[in-house]
Amino acid sequence: MSGAEGHQRLRRLLFLVPFVSRNPGLTVDEVARALGTERDALLEELDLLTLVGRPPFQPDDFIDIYVEDDRVYVDLHQRLSAPPRLTAAEGVALAAAATLLKPGPGDALRSAIDKLEKVLPQQALERFREMGKRLDVALEAPMGLAPVAQAIVERRVVAFDYVATSSGQAERRRVRPYELFSHRGQWYLSGFDVARGGERLFRLDRMGPLEVTPETFEAPREPPRASMPGAHQATSRVTVRFEPATAPFIRERFGAEARALANGRVEVEVPGDNLRWLTRWVLSFGGEAVVTSPEWAIRSVAEAAAASLESPPS
Amino acid sequence: MERTERLLDLVALLLDSKRPISWTELREAFKDDYGSGSLEACERKFERDKAELLELGIPLTWVKAGDDTPEGYVVERDAYYLPEVGLTADELAVLYAAGAAALASGAFPGSQDLAHALRKVGFFAGGPPIAPSVRLELGAVAEVKDLPLRLDGLWGAITTRKSVTLDYFSPHTKEVSHRVVDGYGLALRRGLWSLVGYCHLRKGVRTFLVHRVRSLAVNQSRPKSPDYEVPASFKLDEYVATWPWQHRFHPPLDVEVLLTGELAPLARSLFPAAPSADARGARVTVKATDLDGLVKYVLSLGPDAKVVGPAEAVARHRQLATAVLAAHQERPS
Repeated sequence: MSGAEGHQRLRRLLFLVPFVSRNPGLTVDEVARALGTERDALLEELDLLTLVGRPPFQPDDFIDIYVEDDRVYVDLHQRLSAPPRLTAAEGVALAAAATLLKPGPGDALRSAIDKLEKVLPQQALERFREMGKRLDVALEAPMGLAPVAQAIVERRVVAFDYVATSSGQAERRRVRPYELFSHRGQWYLSGFDVARGGERLFRLDRMGPLEVTPETFEAPREPPRASMPGAHQATSRVTVRFEPATAPFIRERFGAEARALANGRVEVEVPGDNLRWLTRWVLSFGGEAVVTSPEWAIRSVAEAAAASLESPPS
Repeated sequence: MERTERLLDLVALLLDSKRPISWTELREAFKDDYGSGSLEACERKFERDKAELLELGIPLTWVKAGDDTPEGYVVERDAYYLPEVGLTADELAVLYAAGAAALASGAFPGSQDLAHALRKVGFFAGGPPIAPSVRLELGAVAEVKDLPLRLDGLWGAITTRKSVTLDYFSPHTKEVSHRVVDGYGLALRRGLWSLVGYCHLRKGVRTFLVHRVRSLAVNQSRPKSPDYEVPASFKLDEYVATWPWQHRFHPPLDVEVLLTGELAPLARSLFPAAPSADARGARVTVKATDLDGLVKYVLSLGPDAKVVGPAEAVARHRQLATAVLAAHQERPS
């Protein structure tokens, strides 16, 4: 076993004893799942623990942990009644992950991070702050996500003004929120649109301020998982060609889907269902991307570029 | 005795003891490990064990003799046990959601630390709470097979300040360069991870996209001794662009952007600058160090977004929009 594996194992075992002590009678599979390990590996760990105790190793000095009818119990935990405190590295990893949901002043995520900092041991706090400067995560969420996440947990209907990419018009929506997800730098909320009577996907950067209403809802037994935008079966495909300067980045992003053309160009096929998204995506390359088919998509990009050239309203 | 077993025995002994335990007593209690062979070798072995326990956050210290107590080693129980953090159900749920989503993304540095942290915060709640459904897609590139491994390797190297040797692929030149880098930090922007550090080849601080790292090796010599110091003035945020106009290609230029129609009420989420009211909509001033990055971003917002000043920025906006128009008016070859 390597040093790193031994380190992880020790960490797991220092958690396992107090965990079973606090949750006696869980099945082997439940304990394995809680520890993020496999059943067989857990049984090996339990075997090792029966050898652990404190000198002088009298019978009562050993940890007494055992499996009975496929359930795990501990009778003597030898003072391993709670896990060790959070380490600086654990605190940093947790705080960085929390940052992904953009904690805001006064929200549940911010207060959770503040409470965690308070229970870090003094000697770990300095290292926590130093390590915190070395990991900087931002998912460009346009708003604090904790209130949305909280509404999902509490099954509360949310309301917001929404500018749909298809219409460009702002409308008030009431939504039963199911899932938040980020895809290619964009955050989305999937949920049941009450007025429209169906599941919809909302881009967070097109939502106005969120209102969490007192109205609750019964969540479906298994809320449907929204497809990633563009992942669904598109009814039409559009071919886009990229100039040599942009081609390397397209290869990176699309991998084998990017077809090599002559003179260092590449082309890809993308879903053509959302013309508004398509034209804006092509515009964002400033002339380095050209739609080559079908004709209606070429025309749409030309019209969008012409509209961008119009003078702003006076 | 297996090392893991010995370390657990040591923790159990020290946690149970009401008084410090001397080195002599430890040698007696662990005869096969600390009590046989040369004294120097036994001391070295114990120091290694101690270092491992300290790394796990176990407060093992040596205390001087008091009036009624001998000198020796102690583990303070109050400092050892994870206290009740006192998280509310909401706090626990959102924290867990964030952590679980980061873990499930498969591309988060320090994933083992994060997994342990989540277990610990859920300990007093009796297991994982009901977390809201949150999914993250990190990486945002086609080839992410080695990304988790690279991120964990780099994070380990950064936190212990060990230099790394890496092969770095440039999509521009299609060449791989061999670099020695002192890692100063990792940053995630727009779904992409960057390593920022001192590059010995370029003799300066450079930013590397982690998905372009083809191979990685951490300096294994003297693992407990850092290879470098991070300059006190270093700020990670200064080397990674959050927005496409923040790449440092030219001196800062204040660019005025006008948002009308449907985009006016979205100004705050589309730009990280406070908008000012304009009779026609919302106006934002953006400090750009990559004008093309800004102009392309504005183009992507559609015709309700316009660059309105200064003249050179307006001209560039028109130039790129004209290029798109021209390319789509001609029959593409």
